[in-house]
Amino acid sequence: MRDRDGRDTAAPLSRADQFRVLRALVRAEWAAGIFGLRLFIGCVAIATFMMGTVWMLGDGLSTMLSRGGTTFLGGDVSVTTTNVPLPADLADRLSALGAMSEVAELRSSAQAGGERVAVELKGVDGAYPLYGGVTLGSGRDFRTVLNRTGNVETEGRPAAIVEPTFLARTGAGIGDVLRLGGQDFVIADTLSQEPDRLSVGRFMVGPRIIVRLDALRAAGLIQRGSIVEFRYRLRDRADAPDDLVDAVRDLRPEAGWELETPADAGDRVLRTVDRTTTFLGMVGITALAIGIAGAWAAAKAWVRRRIRTIALYRLSGATPGMVLALHAVIVVFASFLGLAVGLGASAAVALPLLDVITTRLHVPLATGNVVEQMATVALILVAGLAGTGLLAMSSAAEVSPGAAMRSGEAPPSANPLHAAAGAGLVLFALGAAALSLPIPVLAGLMTLGLAAAIGVLALAAAGLAKCVSRRRPRGFLGTVIRQSLENAGHTATRTIAIGVGIIGITAIVAAQNSLQQALTQELPERVPDLVLIDVQPDQVAALRDRVEGDPGLEGLQADPFMRMTLTQVNGVPVEDALVREDKSWVIEGDRSFSWAAEPTGAALLAGDWWDVDYDGQPLVSPEEDLMEAFDLTVGDRLTYSVLGRTFTSEVVNIRKEYHRTFRPEYLLLASPQPFRDAPHTWIMSLQGKTDAALDGLIRDVSAAHGNVTAIDIRPLVAQVRGVIDGATLASFLMAGLLVVAGAMSLAALVAADVDARRQEALVFSVVGASRREIALVRLAEAAAVGAIAAALGGLAGMVGGYFVVTEALRVDWAPSAFVFVLPVVLGVASSVVAGAVGGLGAVPGGRGQLVRHLAA
Amino acid sequence: MFSKTERADTVDRPPSPDAEKGAPVAVLSGARLSYPGIGDGGPEANGAEVDVLRGIDMEIGAGEIVAATGPSGSGKSSLIAVIGGLERPTGGEVKVLDIDLTTAGEAARTDLRRRNIGIVFQSFHLVPAMSALQNASLPLMLAGNFEAESEAAKMLARVGLSHRLNHRPSALSGGEQQRVAIARAFAAEPRLVLADEPTGNLDQATGDEVVGVMFDLVRETGASMLLVTHDESLAARCDRTIAIDNGKVRDTVGS
Repeated sequence: MRDRDGRDTAAPLSRADQFRVLRALVRAEWAAGIFGLRLFIGCVAIATFMMGTVWMLGDGLSTMLSRGGTTFLGGDVSVTTTNVPLPADLADRLSALGAMSEVAELRSSAQAGGERVAVELKGVDGAYPLYGGVTLGSGRDFRTVLNRTGNVETEGRPAAIVEPTFLARTGAGIGDVLRLGGQDFVIADTLSQEPDRLSVGRFMVGPRIIVRLDALRAAGLIQRGSIVEFRYRLRDRADAPDDLVDAVRDLRPEAGWELETPADAGDRVLRTVDRTTTFLGMVGITALAIGIAGAWAAAKAWVRRRIRTIALYRLSGATPGMVLALHAVIVVFASFLGLAVGLGASAAVALPLLDVITTRLHVPLATGNVVEQMATVALILVAGLAGTGLLAMSSAAEVSPGAAMRSGEAPPSANPLHAAAGAGLVLFALGAAALSLPIPVLAGLMTLGLAAAIGVLALAAAGLAKCVSRRRPRGFLGTVIRQSLENAGHTATRTIAIGVGIIGITAIVAAQNSLQQALTQELPERVPDLVLIDVQPDQVAALRDRVEGDPGLEGLQADPFMRMTLTQVNGVPVEDALVREDKSWVIEGDRSFSWAAEPTGAALLAGDWWDVDYDGQPLVSPEEDLMEAFDLTVGDRLTYSVLGRTFTSEVVNIRKEYHRTFRPEYLLLASPQPFRDAPHTWIMSLQGKTDAALDGLIRDVSAAHGNVTAIDIRPLVAQVRGVIDGATLASFLMAGLLVVAGAMSLAALVAADVDARRQEALVFSVVGASRREIALVRLAEAAAVGAIAAALGGLAGMVGGYFVVTEALRVDWAPSAFVFVLPVVLGVASSVVAGAVGGLGAVPGGRGQLVRHLAA
Repeated sequence: MFSKTERADTVDRPPSPDAEKGAPVAVLSGARLSYPGIGDGGPEANGAEVDVLRGIDMEIGAGEIVAATGPSGSGKSSLIAVIGGLERPTGGEVKVLDIDLTTAGEAARTDLRRRNIGIVFQSFHLVPAMSALQNASLPLMLAGNFEAESEAAKMLARVGLSHRLNHRPSALSGGEQQRVAIARAFAAEPRLVLADEPTGNLDQATGDEVVGVMFDLVRETGASMLLVTHDESLAARCDRTIAIDNGKVRDTVGS
């Protein structure tokens, strides 16, 4: 057959012509807008936003932390000793191996502007820093500023670089005098970024002050017995850092030292970031699952609404492929819109947050990672959406041209091949999301758990459908409920779509609650308000009298405070003797050590205390953690080094650990001899009945005992509370966003149903069913689905939450009662919404609407 | 075309009390219906009311078959909606089986439809997910009849669909779907059947078959029927024809 121009009209269109037709159709559809896909776009945007934020934050931080190892460590290898510096000959041998920088860090107090505050003091030599750079507030060169000693301007005083918070607390300014120990310094500049801040590895009690190492020594603060950490960093000259580490390791003295490589640097922070990212990643994956479920429901509803239009396209000669392509193009447009909105929003949230966190951690911000993460998230979502689109749109291609002419046409089901490919793509997206997290095994297990839970939901729903189809109800309600539930696929779909939301939200809220509990437990109910450190033995009595004589002060505890490094257990090196990996921190660096003549009051898990007048070879009392680390029993022998001397002592008892009291606790406690006479300082902690009494004591200590540092715990506790509140708020926000995602998904699902149900409701109304009866039917039907989703989804969510809490967050499982109520609330809410919208909303309410619909 | 005599011969039903008394099943006096205006933005966009029925006066007697004819948009479907209690009249008086639909609440109107009114539409309006048997049973179920399916099955057999009981609408032809709709409309033995262009979507032969079934059922059950149609020949087979134009009764043909 030929047309007027002589073309063979029976011949199939060329590819170019097909493309032209497709373009024309897309243009026509575009003119009508993609408003019908607004729920789809919303679901995509929210899933993208949550995933994007987590991926950008978490992975960005992990990458930055792992890339900057040498900078954070301060060298290619670092050794640290406490209390005493390395012997000069050993330091010389070390310096022969590479460029060396020596740094001393201690907690002390500084006086300026009439105020005395606890500070984190750091003395650095001329070689510091070996890697990275120190950034000053003024932008000037660090070394130039620090070496500005002895000129007219500073009247011979050495320079001190202080963190801005120091100025804020004391009211001092640049150029003012600052007193440390017996030495005056001049405040030369403020500190913006310290490259090796993460090497501190502990809680900082006050603002950082950096001075020259020789000036620190001159200030008289480095005395025998002071808790000073001496760090020796080496920079490799031969481009063989591993050889350097081996060479340094060979020099290990008998007294031990803490050797760290860049891989260890910031390790704890990195581990925390990895675990947090994996946890947040699960929130992201849940959002992805909910978002994809919602997007699928929304796309399906959209296709269902378009069946007549599609049939008309087919009627006009469009091939199934053309129909599929047209709808795919529209969905792709909508997907990109959702992705753009989501990624834009996540960048708007993640970048400022990343900036704040990197500033806090003194890590340089690398935005290149962010782009990488955005691309990862976009790719994962594109895969998931491609699967979703295929699942939703396959049926579009199956619509027959006759559907335009027939009423009572049920939407065709998807092509099985398309369905399988779509499901595969969705699973691929979830798997890829899990694999892209820092701890893929953990995330993968959680994702598999989610998939298994979805499988269980589907089976349960199919079981319900089978049960229902066996029944032969005679009444209207029963018949309609049976009819709507007996389609196993349809029932399973709805159960899964609601269940996924319930699983995710329950798990996250349970985890959030446990996390909050754990954080709150970090703060004991009664904490000391003031801790005095660097108290010399001869000052103890005077301070004790001062505190005990003040009715406004109470709860004084005074102990000798030393550090020890554990080297052997029963003659076996500690690394080999360790039986519990999670307790490896007990052999990482130096740990708290004290001596006591009398029982401390701690409960004993085994053994007995030494006699009060015992003065023989030292006996030791390890804490519970040490027992667990080495499977210790009474009679075992521990080798440890204190103040550069090595001791081997018998374990005579094991003390129970009192967690998180803020009281000084000692991993190892020894009998008095020979430590009583060794140079060491004491630590005193106490509480105040009034702030005035505490402030008075701080003033007196400052005046009478210049070497003693008073650490005011009150603002620190407030800081910790602030962090907890922030973490709680953040996790609430996340759970809230999941609820929003779930609600959108549900809305999409309800929308998918409403169109189909409107037709039914219209008929029911015409044959004499009241709105109440129609709503009741929908409510009962949704309640059945909601009950399964709530029961199984809630159970799966709690199992998932338990896994996240114990394996990812490593805190105690502490779900609140709300977690048990939540699935029920969500199930009921979804039922009521579905019932209300599907029943009451489905019958046209406005005057004339019924006639209009019936005439259609 | 049936004459009154011919019809009397075919009717096989107990006369209803109303029929005996000759009381009408539906009485409309000055019935009005107006819809909110429709603009581009949908209903109520421009606020201007559209008068669809502008004061209809008519009666449907017991056992009477009345045809309503008129051009598209004249208000025929709206007349069915008002008499069927689907829309509340905005003026005048509409009484169906002594129930004043101008004042009756939704519950009363629903009950009226459930027990006494059957409706057949041009586009069938069957529940796609339900079988023919389930569709036809609906009014009986709603009336609390626990033998709904067996009675509906009889009705489906009556309309010639005993072999299609468990088929869904998508598996039925247009004529078959309309016969299911007719079985559903008559299943609860209503006193009044409203049919809105029941043959509009069917070919002539199928339409004739369907109408034949409907007329037979009306005669058998003694129901009254209001039949909206464009088809003059079909209208001529009814007892009386009212011509509607622009929301008013323009003419009445027949006794």
